[in-house]
Amino acid sequence: MGPAPEEAVWFDGVSARRQTVVVEVSPDGRGLRFAREVWPLDRLRRIEGEGLVLALAVAEGDELPHDPARLVLAEGALADWVRGRATGLHRRDLKRGTGVKIAGRIALAGVALAAILFVFLPRISDLLADQLPLEQEVVFGQAVLRQVEGMLGAEGSLVCDNPAGLAALEKMERRLTEGQGLTYDIDLSVFDHEMLNAFAAPGGHVVILRGLLDEAETAEEVAGVLAHEIGHVEARDPVRLAFRSAGSAGILALVLGDVTGGTVIAFAGDYILRASYTREAEAAADAFAHDLLERTGVGTEGLAAFFDRIEGMGGDVPEFLSTHPASGNRAEAARSAGGGAEEPVLNAAEWQALRGICG
Amino acid sequence: MDHTGELQVSYRGDPAKLFPLALGTGVLGVITLGIYRFWAKARIRRHVWGQVRVGDDAMEFTGTGLEMFLGFLMAVVVLAVYLAVVQLILFAVGIRFVFDPQNEMQEIAQGISIALSFLAVLPLMLFAAYRARRYKLARTRFRGIRFAMENAAGGYMLRGLIYLLLTVVSLGLLWPLMTYRLEAYMTERTWYGGARFRQGGRWTGLYSAYFHVVVGIVMIGLSVLVAIGGSPGLSGFLGALGAVWGMIGLVIYRVRAFGYLMATKEMDGGLGFRAAPRAGRVVWLYIKGVFIVGLLGGVASAIIFAPLGTMMAGVEEPSALLQVEIAVMGVVAYLLLLTVFGALALVFISQPILGHFVGSVTVTGAEAIDAVRQRVSDRGADAEGLADALDMGGAF
Repeated sequence: MGPAPEEAVWFDGVSARRQTVVVEVSPDGRGLRFAREVWPLDRLRRIEGEGLVLALAVAEGDELPHDPARLVLAEGALADWVRGRATGLHRRDLKRGTGVKIAGRIALAGVALAAILFVFLPRISDLLADQLPLEQEVVFGQAVLRQVEGMLGAEGSLVCDNPAGLAALEKMERRLTEGQGLTYDIDLSVFDHEMLNAFAAPGGHVVILRGLLDEAETAEEVAGVLAHEIGHVEARDPVRLAFRSAGSAGILALVLGDVTGGTVIAFAGDYILRASYTREAEAAADAFAHDLLERTGVGTEGLAAFFDRIEGMGGDVPEFLSTHPASGNRAEAARSAGGGAEEPVLNAAEWQALRGICG
Repeated sequence: MDHTGELQVSYRGDPAKLFPLALGTGVLGVITLGIYRFWAKARIRRHVWGQVRVGDDAMEFTGTGLEMFLGFLMAVVVLAVYLAVVQLILFAVGIRFVFDPQNEMQEIAQGISIALSFLAVLPLMLFAAYRARRYKLARTRFRGIRFAMENAAGGYMLRGLIYLLLTVVSLGLLWPLMTYRLEAYMTERTWYGGARFRQGGRWTGLYSAYFHVVVGIVMIGLSVLVAIGGSPGLSGFLGALGAVWGMIGLVIYRVRAFGYLMATKEMDGGLGFRAAPRAGRVVWLYIKGVFIVGLLGGVASAIIFAPLGTMMAGVEEPSALLQVEIAVMGVVAYLLLLTVFGALALVFISQPILGHFVGSVTVTGAEAIDAVRQRVSDRGADAEGLADALDMGGAF
């Protein structure tokens, strides 16, 4: 025996009229009957609100699969009876195909983001990078270098300036660049840091870290690495890389409300230091280096020897040497490129001076 | 006065019900790295909408966390394209001046390019503001009937940009024009079932509400003149006074503008509103709320951080593992505390102020409601995702 009929408020979902109806248990005891409606208990859903607000689950419906009509029961015997028997009151219905829809949207978002980051951005940033005037690029490169110094933990400048060392460095630079018809005016410097690394920044700046001088055994090895970096510079790889990082950083920077451009420079510095160029860019820089070393009579043996040494070191290898064909192959490639040494790059005293440039 | 056909709007919020909900959903948000925030928002809105009564009948929010999450995914893609492209172009232009301005012209260009990178998101924010309101209305029910707003965010964005420019050029004096026109734009596109809303009144009607802001602006203008005249002390005093006056004036303006714009709205069939929110009350509720939040938040931080402190005090030489453990617990405790403060602010600051605004409204000519018929459902494509991605959602 169900509870006695009660008055309730009824919104029919068609008109905004507030209607008072008498609600009773349907004769079979498995539904509520009022006005001309019969709502089966198993399809009743509770809506948040005072008293017991009910909606009817339907296959179609709007954002939730509920009919827009609402029945508001006051707290009392009938409401308690419904709570006791309507099993699906708190069920969260989902429309058919919701799982597929979620998976589809997540996949779509992932694909779109990947396409933006890995296809669209690189293309457009390369395009913009090629438009950048040289003098602006040099200025930008200086800002990036300051950033890199900061990231290497320096308070002030890291540039090594022992006069004899600088003279040796200058000699090496002239040997590699003079009369080669380079687009860029190469600006070569050494940073006082123990990391084994060398990198090129926008605007023709090439930097060797002291760790590389410590590790190298001959001036030809250093010259080989330099030739490789000059290859990057001439191919405008650093500025392209900086633009790519600016695009990605832009997403972050604007969402974070960064309007100073600090994020962009920070990203650029990070990218340059890790120098994650593409395989193709590395191969092109290698080829450039082989050619340059042969033409200047430095010979490729130094570069090959350096690659061999890196190979022997195992895991702890700078990024610019490891993102591509195993170093062994590169050593071989350098050797087979030919070009014997005609004249040493530096004499013994100059080589010692260069190694002591940070002294 | 004749009160037939009037319905009092009221808010029946109860801190004891909202706080557990806000805290629980907030903690879930921390655990799920923020993914749950969409479901949290939907649950809190369902609760808050249910507390708003027009006469005896409650509002209902039918939006779901899932659709907000899906909308967010969509918005992220749109934003990524937009921001990446805009930022790149600005970078390409700005790089020429940003790092090393050579002369005055370039310094100006640098300033402009930095300002531009901020302005680049402004159109999107206006767009998102309209879309967010449209979504909220499309998911609001009263007496089983849907609210809706027309799909016209583009027009809103254009107008918003124009009126913003006018406001800036007029040194803020034309702000009421912007407030009125933008509100009217949205109101005229708002529907309850088959009944449309209209915005009456005039934009000049907002100037009595704007008075104190004008006073503030005039004082700051005077301080500039005095500074040029060569007495920095007086100028500084005038400037500071003007700034404070203007800020308080702004609160008064927001409250009274709400009252004016509400009282001049009407719906088909002769339904209208009376609204009398009081600025003093809003300020008092805010101060009271900040005090309560500070007090309870202080207690909560003591409870959360005390165990951590005692743990650390007992250790003479912490091992590396223990240091990591303490650091992780510190971060968790910090996030938890932020969640507690967020929930407290919602319950003791946002809710009472919302309650005051809602409770200040009376519906007149309510018979018109009975004639309203249902309208079809609006699928609301991005479900506020854009506003969420730009982090511009209000308290509710």
